[in-house]
Amino acid sequence: MNAPDRYERFVVPEGTKKVSYDRDTKIINAASFTIEREDHTVGNVLRMQLHKDPNVLFAGYKLPHPLQYKILVRIHTTSQSSPMQAYNQAINDLDKELSHLKSVFEDEVRRHSRDF
Amino acid sequence: MEGISYQRFPKVKIREMKDDYLKFELRETDASMANALRRVMLAEVPTLAIDLVEIEVNSTVLNDEFIAHRLGLIPLTSDRAMSMRFSRDCDACDGDGQCEFCSVEFTLNVRCTSDHTLDVTSTDLRSSDPTICCPVDVAARATAALDPNSAYDPSEQRGIIIVKLRRGQELRLRAIARKGIGKDHAKWSPAATVTFMYEPDIHINEDLMETLTLEEKRSWVESSPTKVFDIDPNTQQVVVVDPEAYTYDDEVIKKAEAMGKPGLVDINAKEDSFIFTVESTGAIKASQLVINAIEILRQKLDAVRLSLDTEECDEQFGELGAHLRGSAV
Ligand SMILES: [Zn+2]
Repeated sequence: MNAPDRYERFVVPEGTKKVSYDRDTKIINAASFTIEREDHTVGNVLRMQLHKDPNVLFAGYKLPHPLQYKILVRIHTTSQSSPMQAYNQAINDLDKELSHLKSVFEDEVRRHSRDF
Repeated sequence: MEGISYQRFPKVKIREMKDDYLKFELRETDASMANALRRVMLAEVPTLAIDLVEIEVNSTVLNDEFIAHRLGLIPLTSDRAMSMRFSRDCDACDGDGQCEFCSVEFTLNVRCTSDHTLDVTSTDLRSSDPTICCPVDVAARATAALDPNSAYDPSEQRGIIIVKLRRGQELRLRAIARKGIGKDHAKWSPAATVTFMYEPDIHINEDLMETLTLEEKRSWVESSPTKVFDIDPNTQQVVVVDPEAYTYDDEVIKKAEAMGKPGLVDINAKEDSFIFTVESTGAIKASQLVINAIEILRQKLDAVRLSLDTEECDEQFGELGAHLRGSAV
C-alpha cells in the first residue's frame, strides 16, 4: 500500500540534480560526487577508470543503502589535477572506449555474418 | 587543463552467433567494463511488453490480474524500442495507448464453442502494427514462412499459452504494450542469460609432470571434475584439451599437492580477457542486445557528466586551491 513506485529507482525526481559536488573542507584536492539514481553499473566502472589516472590518489564509490537510489564517488588527487578534472577525464575515456567497442563489435558482427 | 588520455581499445572476437545466442571474446579491458555491460544487458536495455490491460469479458478460470500478468510476460519483438519513448516521458499522449511514439495496441477475442479444451495463446493476440511489435513466436513463424530452407516446423509450435477455455468460456480484452526496462519489471528484460568468465591461463610444469607414472598422470587428469586435461595416447604426455572447461575449482592443484608434486600446474585467470555468453528472449537479436547495451552505458555515462554550474563552483575551488598551495610552498 505504501510501497514506493518502481520507477523511483531510475527516474531523477524533479528539482533534484543528477550529479552534485561536495569538496572536502579539510583536504585539498579531495571531493565527493553524489550521483542520483545510479548504482554499481556506473559506480564501479567509474572507480576503476579513475584508478588508471596516476594523479588520482584515492577513488572509491559506495551505494549507501539499497533503498536510497544514489551512489557516492569520492576522489582525492595530487596537486597536478583536481577531483573534477579526474572525474571528467574518466568519463571522457570511458565514453571513447565505448565508442571504440561499439565500432569494433559492429565490424565483427558484419565480418561474422559474411563468413558463416 | 585537459589531461592525457587513459583510454583502452578493447578487442572483440565472435565465436558463435545465432539470432538468440551469442558467444564472444572481449579482450583488453577490465572486469568493471565487462560487468557493467552484463548488468546493462540484463536490466537496462529497453524492450516492449504488455503493461496495461483492459478486460471486456473474462469468464475463464483465471482472474483478470492473473491474465494481465501472463500477458506482460510474453516476449514481444522490440527492434524499435531504442528509438521509442517511455510513456511517462511522452508528451504526445497521456499514455492510454493511442500513440505511435510510445505504445502498441493489442486485442484478443477468443470464445470456446466446442467440447474440446481451447488454448488461448500468443498467436491469438492481434497487434495494431505487427511490423513493429508482435509476440516473438508469431514473428518467428512469419520469418520461417518466407524461408523455404528453414528448419522451423510450424506444426510443432503452438504459441505461448495464456489460458485454457472450456465450452462457453470467453476472453476479450485490449492490451497496451509499452517501452520499459528490466530494472522496472523483469518482463522488460531482453536477456535470458548473460554470463562472462575469465579466460584461464594454464601452464603445466612439463619437467615435474614427467616424474609421474602413467597411472599417476591418469589419476591426476581424472581429479578434475570437468574435462580440462587428457593424456596423449601416442606420447603419453598430459595435454590441455579444453582450458575453458576449467571452473576455477582448484581440484587439480589440491590433487598435485596431495601427490607431493606442488607446482605441477599453474592456473591463472587472465585479468583482461572475458568470454561472454548472451542468450536473448527473442525480443531483440543477441548481437543487437550487446550493441544496445554499449549505447545505453554510453548514455548513462553521458548523463552523469557535471553540469556547467557545478563546474563553475569548482573554478572557485581551483582558485582557492591554488591560493592554498601557493601559500604552502
Ligand atoms: Zn505517447
